[in-house]
Amino acid sequence: MPLKAHLEGCAVNGSRKLALYHYWVAFGLFLPAVVLGTWQMLMRSPLPAPFDDPDAYYASVTLHGSVMAYVLTTFFAMGFGYAIAATSLGRPIRGANAAWIGFAICLLGTLMVAAAIVSGHASVLYTFYPPLLASVWYYGGAFLLIGGSMIWVVLMIMNMTAWKRDNPGKPVPLPMFAITATAFLWAWAASGVLIELAGILLPRTLGWSDLIDASLARTLFSVTLHAIVYFWLMPAYIAFYTLVPQAAGGRLYSDTMGRLTFIMFLVFSLPVGLHHLLADPEHGSGFKFVQSALTFLVVLPTLLTVFSLTSSLEIAGRLRGGRGLLGWIPKLPWQEPMVLAVALSLVMLGLGGFGGIINMSYAMNAMIHNTAWVTAHFHLIFGGAVVIMYFAVAYEMWPRITGRPLVSKALARSQLWLWFIGMLVTTIPWHIAGLMGQPRRVAIFDYSLPLMKPIAPWVVLSVIGGIILLISAIMLITILVRSHFGERVLEQPLRYALAVNPPQRVPESLNSFGLWNAIVAVLMITSYGYPIGQFFFLKDHSVPAVQVTPQSPTRAQ
Amino acid sequence: MAQPQGPLETRSPWPRIGWGVTILLAVASFALGFLVVSRPQQGGSTFGVWAAICRGLGVTSDTGAALELQPAVSVPSKIAWTSATLKAIGEGDVHNGETVALICAACHGKSGVSGSALYPTLAGMEAVTIYKQLDDFRSGKRSNGVMNAIATAITVQSAADVAAYFSSRSNGMPPPHGDPLQGGHSFREGNGAIRLVFAGDPARGIPPCTACHGPSEIKLGAPRLTGQQPAYIERQLAAFAQGLRRNDINEQMRTVASQLTATEMHEVAEVYGTGLSAHATEAGSAAAGLESSDVQR
Repeated sequence: MPLKAHLEGCAVNGSRKLALYHYWVAFGLFLPAVVLGTWQMLMRSPLPAPFDDPDAYYASVTLHGSVMAYVLTTFFAMGFGYAIAATSLGRPIRGANAAWIGFAICLLGTLMVAAAIVSGHASVLYTFYPPLLASVWYYGGAFLLIGGSMIWVVLMIMNMTAWKRDNPGKPVPLPMFAITATAFLWAWAASGVLIELAGILLPRTLGWSDLIDASLARTLFSVTLHAIVYFWLMPAYIAFYTLVPQAAGGRLYSDTMGRLTFIMFLVFSLPVGLHHLLADPEHGSGFKFVQSALTFLVVLPTLLTVFSLTSSLEIAGRLRGGRGLLGWIPKLPWQEPMVLAVALSLVMLGLGGFGGIINMSYAMNAMIHNTAWVTAHFHLIFGGAVVIMYFAVAYEMWPRITGRPLVSKALARSQLWLWFIGMLVTTIPWHIAGLMGQPRRVAIFDYSLPLMKPIAPWVVLSVIGGIILLISAIMLITILVRSHFGERVLEQPLRYALAVNPPQRVPESLNSFGLWNAIVAVLMITSYGYPIGQFFFLKDHSVPAVQVTPQSPTRAQ
Repeated sequence: MAQPQGPLETRSPWPRIGWGVTILLAVASFALGFLVVSRPQQGGSTFGVWAAICRGLGVTSDTGAALELQPAVSVPSKIAWTSATLKAIGEGDVHNGETVALICAACHGKSGVSGSALYPTLAGMEAVTIYKQLDDFRSGKRSNGVMNAIATAITVQSAADVAAYFSSRSNGMPPPHGDPLQGGHSFREGNGAIRLVFAGDPARGIPPCTACHGPSEIKLGAPRLTGQQPAYIERQLAAFAQGLRRNDINEQMRTVASQLTATEMHEVAEVYGTGLSAHATEAGSAAAGLESSDVQR
């Protein structure tokens, strides 16, 4: 039936286009955000900076953070999800029209956020902690961007359910299972910020309420704030399990380990956000400790992944003739950007992970709370370990989506190396500056003060790292754009790694999310029920909001 | 073929593992967070269980049942003038005390008459006074490196013995009835220092020194002062005034000394140390001292 084949071809083409558009929004805004980041580093360093203006600094930090934390990640995850749903299930996406509507809503939200920040009426930083108050356009835009991505969440769940219905008894392919776990995780995570926006911030900016309960808002945001990090991380982990072994020419060590990893991320990444509020007075020590302790459990899926990934790479190295204890390492196909990226990513994940254990520890957090150490930590983990995998995924998928080969693998490898070096040169000095007491989110430092003087050389060093990162980001966009205009060659379908023992049957618990969502619900009620509930019957922290204007913050009327 | 299972299905091991691990972790972290971490407080004390849970919830101590921090019991001296104490002092053996006193001779002089302004004369001092100071040095209530060490080294019985020995010596401080400083001076006395010693200063609430330290009256535990090293007396007054010495049981010396000027301290010490005659001619400087006490008031 040629007509049916043609229609299916169009639909697959549609899925590809969907992924490509999402990727382009993500990477298209990524480059200007890196430019802003580099300027911010110059601005807060002892070196002279163009447009030396603190107001511009805070607007820039807000835009940089909002683009990197919300736009890049959400659009990348959505595009990655659509690509995975289409390729791993081997059939076009159900609900493509809804996906395009979601894309449009998210894009509209992004533009509203960007416009509000550029106008200077939303310099509230991407965490937008009240009582700072931005313009309604910023909150509305954020609500559309995050709320719009819920369409993607529903589509991912729907596609997995529909496939299971059509293939009874078969295990859901690991990539699809993992991206659906990501979708559930994001739905749980986003609930906090969506309730905060709809229940507290939008009513205040629309003039329906006079005061802001800052503590309740911070607590709701903490529901999002940590789990969102795992939402950013998940695409990288999906690549670790399903793309890296394939690119290295081997097999995935264990399919079950993969499923358990994503299940554990779903369960353990949610009831942990209070560790961002360890210095906040509105919560008692008990719940802070409980969530701090639960945070430590994400070590389990992380270590499981490191083990699984190394084993898969070892299988690949030995298949390629590697011998001895470590002889398999040089045999790996290091010319593949994906293989190089995973090695660089693991180094940054290791360094950043150890720093993160200090952040989340109830006892040690006080040393580094709100210092440059924290900025260093999440740049190393997210900007480093995660984003470098986004690059690798883009290099892997671009040829499959566009049908045109990557312009140069050597150029791609240099770009990855530069990103890795730039990120270390940026964040290691930040860690040190943080330990020396340099606060984060401050536009101007007087480096002639005796306490600041010894920090200055480290800050200058980190600026050099920032410039390296900027060069790397420009290279990334150059490679992607030039690959768009290459000659069209025969298409290579995207293949996912096969497990050593491909699953024939898996227990229903490892093939669905009912059980795990029930556990998450119980954990969330146990660990967040009182911290959120107390504001409704015990404590009232409502305060007047501080409206952000281009000149200076003044009390809102 | 996979079996359809609800979240509470227990045939497959995974629901059991999932719920089991979750409950275990939740119980463990709640127990640690609310019963262990919330309990310790600054100062080494701990909350009770209920108060710790309240603290873990962030309920402040004024609404929760938090324990109040209790101040440690503090006394200026461990001596109390009970009959048992007085009996123990009365049983001091002069002969043994003479042997013990060999330790004291290096500083307090042979047979207890000090030749140095740094050390007090002990010969002729009341046994209860010496015994009390040794006890205060032993318990750390009075601070002096050498004396703290010696008082800790000798036994309580030895302290009673050496006190009995020194009080029996007549070559140091004069006996009560042979004291060259005699009473009879009134508020009309022109010399301010002498007036303080014999009449005190009622306007400042200062009683006469002689009411406790002789010659007219010796109160239980107070040292006789006539003939004592004047520099030593002056230094003790300063120590009481600054709170460096705190072993006066009813704070009477801290109360008095903190109201004296430096000049008054010096002159009062001179009156006791060198005798009345030396001061009868220095009315002018004593008047100046009185003036400065006026200013201080």
